[in-house]
Amino acid sequence: MRKQKTTTIYLGPQHPGITGNMMVKLEVDGDTIVKAETHIGYLHRGFEKLMERRNWLQSFTIVCRICVPEPDPNEENYARGVEEIEGREVPEKARWIRMLVLELARIQAYLLWYGGQSASVGLYTIGQWSIGDRNYVLDLFEELTGGRVYHMYIWPGGVRRDLPKGFKDRVYKVMDYIEKRLDDYDRLLFDNAIFQKRAQGVGYIPPEKAIEWGVVGPPLRATGTKSDVRIDEPYEFYDQVEFVVPDFYKTSDVWARALVRRFEIRQAINIVRQVLDKMPEKGPVWNKIPNPHKWRIPRGDAYVKTESARGEFGYYVVSDGSQFPRRVHVRGPAYVHGITLLEKILVGQNISDVSMIMNSLGTCPPEMER
Amino acid sequence: MADLQKENLLLEVLKNHFNDKIFDLKVQRHQRVHLRTTTEQIEAVLLYLKEKLGYKHLSHISCVDWIEENRFELVYILWHPEDKINVLVKVDVDRLNPVAPNIDYIWPQANTYEREMREMFGIQFPGLVGRKELILEDWDDLPPMRRDFDTLQYVMENFEFRSGREDAQNVRETIAKRTGEEIPEFAKKYSR
Repeated sequence: MRKQKTTTIYLGPQHPGITGNMMVKLEVDGDTIVKAETHIGYLHRGFEKLMERRNWLQSFTIVCRICVPEPDPNEENYARGVEEIEGREVPEKARWIRMLVLELARIQAYLLWYGGQSASVGLYTIGQWSIGDRNYVLDLFEELTGGRVYHMYIWPGGVRRDLPKGFKDRVYKVMDYIEKRLDDYDRLLFDNAIFQKRAQGVGYIPPEKAIEWGVVGPPLRATGTKSDVRIDEPYEFYDQVEFVVPDFYKTSDVWARALVRRFEIRQAINIVRQVLDKMPEKGPVWNKIPNPHKWRIPRGDAYVKTESARGEFGYYVVSDGSQFPRRVHVRGPAYVHGITLLEKILVGQNISDVSMIMNSLGTCPPEMER
Repeated sequence: MADLQKENLLLEVLKNHFNDKIFDLKVQRHQRVHLRTTTEQIEAVLLYLKEKLGYKHLSHISCVDWIEENRFELVYILWHPEDKINVLVKVDVDRLNPVAPNIDYIWPQANTYEREMREMFGIQFPGLVGRKELILEDWDDLPPMRRDFDTLQYVMENFEFRSGREDAQNVRETIAKRTGEEIPEFAKKYSR
């Protein structure tokens, strides 16, 4: 018998499937993948080490840089972790504003995903539309926080400033606009035969193994599992808003994950509207912290988590009683999705589907390496 | 305040099964349970939690360097999808001889976490397969996430400052010198 020959292909570090640099080393037989191995290390910035030498307030400016497409869950997690150890109360209005920011961040992350997912099958028009529309959300962020991508807005004790005058109206307007545009995206992407044929049945994750393998977020919900941190462990005021967690797409492939996200962006728009309706008009937005140079957090640890656009985003924060964090360890969904899970499910797939699968899992190198 | 019935029940079940092999059990708050065990018992505890009690999801493995107490603390964070409880299982590893059991046969994703800890803290996991290098490349110094790794010293020894900018190391002082201004007393304290 002839010995089977395979070829090695290095996909990356630069390629269209993801936001950042990461390489997948593929062993291929023809164009079928026999073995995949993820290589990271192109984007390590050592944030966790940096935070050991910064005080609690300086660290807050670092955490948002951990994930480029969706920085706000980082800020919220870090703030909530510090508050939990210290026992600091957060004013009611600040918590509503945090929810508003988190949901706007989810919407812009999904709009970015629309671009990436469609570009990975060669449909570039949708990306140009959705990233153009994402700029309207970034405009809102710029007005609210001063930054378009990195906001540094949610900090321990509350948020940095109150909503500007007339901001609510502008959020309503942008939400109405994006909701209208989603129908156009549906026609372009979900009614498109190219995407339907390429996405269905590709990148299958066995549902009975999904939880054990550490799958979270939209890929887990696409297996038919009802799992969402906002429902399982409501933080801020998520127990006071109504939304549906999609557990009715069960095919567990790229197509089902796309449908889950398509459903969730509409839910996020609804949540934003509810938050704006329920938010109190007046009230403090920050429980003032003491002088940051002398601000000591009592010894203790806390694990806090948020539902980001890609799944459970956790922070393990440890304090040794000094004014510096002992350890801030980030649990990003991509750390599992992009390495062990990706290596498993790529086997048997086609080379041309790799970036599509990576995108549907929400692989994000900046958050894997921190 | 939610009642802590489920959390207390879990502690009781674990106490009955493991007796004095686990200690420091505490309910931190709603949905958070902490416990501590030894490196000999950690596999048994994790397997029991996963297979018998249904803590199927491994959220996270973290490592904290308590250098003054001469120990690494490994923290395994598990999640129960139905009971909705996070259990934080902690185990102390001797800092001078850091060896911990490899658990990637229980959860495959533990492999990545362990490789990162091997690289960043120098903890050995016997039987751990996978490339030696995860994030770092050609690293023969002290594992960098250890507390005694001096970042500044490493930078001074391995990198050069860009030439032509020798005067610009202290921005505030340089500006003051160029413009002839005096630095106020309160600002001197923070200038570096």
